[in-house]
Amino acid sequence: MAYRVILIEKNKAMHDELNETLKKSPDFEVMATYSEVNAALGQSGMHNPSLFLVDVDDPEVVDMLPAFVDIYPGVMILGMLSTWNPDMAQRAVGYGILGCIKKPFRTSDILEAIEVYKKRGGTGAPYTIAFFSPKGRAGRTTLAALLALTLAKKTNESVALIDADLQFGDLPIFFDIEPQHTVVDAVHDLKMLMPVSLAPYFHVITKNVGLLSSPDRPEYAELVDAEGLLGLVQMAGHLFKYVFIDLPAGFNPLSVAVTNFADVNFVVAMINTGLEIEHVKRSMALFDMRKVQRNKCWPIFTRVNPCTPDKKMQLEMQLGYPIAEIFPNEYNLVSVANSGQILQGVPSDTLMMRTIDELAERIIRREL
Amino acid sequence: MAEGRSSIIISIFSTGSGIGKTITAINLAAGLAKEGYAICLVDLDLQFGDIVKYLKLEPKYTIADANADFKNDAEHFNVKDYLTDYHYKGKGGEIRFSVLAPPRMIYDAYRIDVDVVENLIMQLNYFDFIVLDLSAVFSTLNVAMLDMSTIINFLGVIDFLPSVKNFKIGYDTLVRFEYEGSKIRLVENRANSQKLIDGRDVERLLGETFFHRLPNDFPSVNKSILEGCPLMFVAPDAPLTKSFMELSGEYTARPNSNQLNPATPAEPQGFFTKFFDIFGN
Repeated sequence: MAYRVILIEKNKAMHDELNETLKKSPDFEVMATYSEVNAALGQSGMHNPSLFLVDVDDPEVVDMLPAFVDIYPGVMILGMLSTWNPDMAQRAVGYGILGCIKKPFRTSDILEAIEVYKKRGGTGAPYTIAFFSPKGRAGRTTLAALLALTLAKKTNESVALIDADLQFGDLPIFFDIEPQHTVVDAVHDLKMLMPVSLAPYFHVITKNVGLLSSPDRPEYAELVDAEGLLGLVQMAGHLFKYVFIDLPAGFNPLSVAVTNFADVNFVVAMINTGLEIEHVKRSMALFDMRKVQRNKCWPIFTRVNPCTPDKKMQLEMQLGYPIAEIFPNEYNLVSVANSGQILQGVPSDTLMMRTIDELAERIIRREL
Repeated sequence: MAEGRSSIIISIFSTGSGIGKTITAINLAAGLAKEGYAICLVDLDLQFGDIVKYLKLEPKYTIADANADFKNDAEHFNVKDYLTDYHYKGKGGEIRFSVLAPPRMIYDAYRIDVDVVENLIMQLNYFDFIVLDLSAVFSTLNVAMLDMSTIINFLGVIDFLPSVKNFKIGYDTLVRFEYEGSKIRLVENRANSQKLIDGRDVERLLGETFFHRLPNDFPSVNKSILEGCPLMFVAPDAPLTKSFMELSGEYTARPNSNQLNPATPAEPQGFFTKFFDIFGN
């Protein structure tokens, strides 16, 4: 069945061009076209539309999007941009539209965009979580991978895993894949991409978890700067409802930029000699100093033994900050990760997976 | 400085943290000091260096102060003023060595200039050995330090596939830096722990044999951290202690200068500049 389209575009030449394109396709039936957004908002109900194509170059139009979402629930809305504008696109998607496409378009672009954006599994602003650790070997990547799989399963929404540990990223090995594309390629190509054309850079791990890998040589890390990585993270948020970023250890331009941007930062450390608590304390102090709001940075300790509420309280006292979660040692994990079998996972009846489950629930409830 | 005299610089490097770099650096420094050499141990994990905590030192000055003062007045700068002495007397004897401490605040780590650190290391040349404890990343600073080093102890724990992958990536990268083969010494830590991966397979993978293997001994290491002193004092008979002694012994034979040639400081290099040709410019 053809999409019943309402086109909203102020620019006369563009309006005519888009209208012509749509009319040539059997997949679309143009019900009405508007140059004024107010008129469209009031009158569109008469036409029983199934798809709005809305010019979002204009900030005033973007401001009206919540009203469209409210008045026409269930009707798909695609924003049209003449060039990629991350801030405008972010606002538009935050108001609950399906996504953004570039104009002028071919009708196949619209069909592709609908297909790709529907896989996101939910509308509204993306939720970005950065996985930071003062030092390596913290359990950071394991946590990110298990949490991504769990969250995607629970919500039916999609999760992106971006391996930004560009020198020594471990995610490809965890999933036993040989990536076709890496963060370096994506950042390099970003200026030419829209969210829909970024989608193939992600390796499909499950139907709603995608992985963008780190490059296979440490020296390529130099090709990605903080601005490029942030641009990638923002664009990924149009394809995935959750965006997880696995950061390199320590404070560096990439980790600083991403932790500033993210909705939540997990500060992950593995209990080993005890000095790790001090590392987390120093990191949290720096986050405080950098005015990254303290309430979005959450310490997580792994390999805690005994992994009990008392132990958690004791660690919180030592640290001077509330802790999001503590994780026990899980012997199975080493062999699971060794064999690239993380997808098959750790048995769900373990304390490890129960804790992952709990953390996923808290993320869903936006408690962090 | 005396003509022709220069320190031997031994760096401890890895491509994963939490695998024993600091413990190796401290015990290597201690072993060399025990043999009567003048040793300076430099903590170059600027953000999260643990040497000071480990040895329970309270440094008056750190590398951050040295960095600032050097930039302020290089002419009257003397690196000696910024070192902290470590001294321990126990049943096993007595040792002394100097430590250049990392910054107190992470924020200060940002302000440290690579060329200043290069200068500091050059000024430390009155020591017989300088032991550098690096962080686990290819950074501008670490690459500059690797360039300056006489010997790179490239440390790995190979119990976990990602670690093996990172060990291999790190080694391949060092090889691409075109260091002399003899400069890079592979050291396996926790070599005898129960694990699923065989060290010999890793040697085949790397095409290079391990120069030294350190056995696993968490209890002794833990005791040494608690006491704040090197293993030779808390676990003198432990195989790990002996293995560290053997490792320092490897570097003190110092038979002729051909074998352990003090490094000539390299031209200052940008981070990975030596790779730019692979991108066609």
